[in-house]
Amino acid sequence: MDDALRAVADPTRRAILVLVRDREVAAGEIAECFPEISRPAVSQHLRTLTAARLVDVRRAGNRRFYRLRPEGLAEAVTFLETMWSTSLSRLQSEAEQEERAHTGDQDVKGSL
Amino acid sequence: MSRTIEQTLHIRARPETVWRFFTDPARLARWWGTAELDARPGGTLQVAMHEGPRPVMRGRFVEFVPYERLVFTFGWEATPGAPDMAPEASRVEVTLTPDGDGTELTLRHSGLPTVLEEETSDGWTHLLHRLGETAERQELP
Repeated sequence: MDDALRAVADPTRRAILVLVRDREVAAGEIAECFPEISRPAVSQHLRTLTAARLVDVRRAGNRRFYRLRPEGLAEAVTFLETMWSTSLSRLQSEAEQEERAHTGDQDVKGSL
Repeated sequence: MSRTIEQTLHIRARPETVWRFFTDPARLARWWGTAELDARPGGTLQVAMHEGPRPVMRGRFVEFVPYERLVFTFGWEATPGAPDMAPEASRVEVTLTPDGDGTELTLRHSGLPTVLEEETSDGWTHLLHRLGETAERQELP
């Protein structure tokens, strides 16, 4: 999941994801869209996206076709969703414990 | 446009109690991570999480209304294994509302990275236009 967030932070990789959003696109065609970037660099971006499981790759002969894996992006946001729900439920039990302790003190004082 | 996470929960504690868990470093450490913070508008907030790649969150308090509302920017420090998210890129809003025997806490984390929504910069338009031309040239089905 961290890999996915890191992968989408790069503007070139975001652009590649947009290219492969709706259909499968050959590696060569992707590279043609980035004439200012070397082919090895584009290949490296594609490897990063594949490793982060943001794209699926299909090999046909010596060609590779890439397509967005939409659930990959869902996982990147899931990392933060999980972080918040885990942390907030800890906050809930800690705050309730503190409140009970506080109310308990007041009850003791009140009864004295 | 970007993604937003929203979570709401009911806590059986007064807003004053819950508030301290965001502004007192010792209490923050009990639910989120080791914290250093300057609890005032414009003050900085740093939280080192203990889990996973132990990412460090860096932010700044944007709104600071005691017991009611807290807004801070949220980003990860560039450490190995930490997700790449610039410090001012995203924003967390925490709202505390008295609710019966306790507090309703709502947390909204907005400005999260997405790539699937339309981006309107000229660069994008140009790029997509070029892709269209390439696709037409190749007469893909």
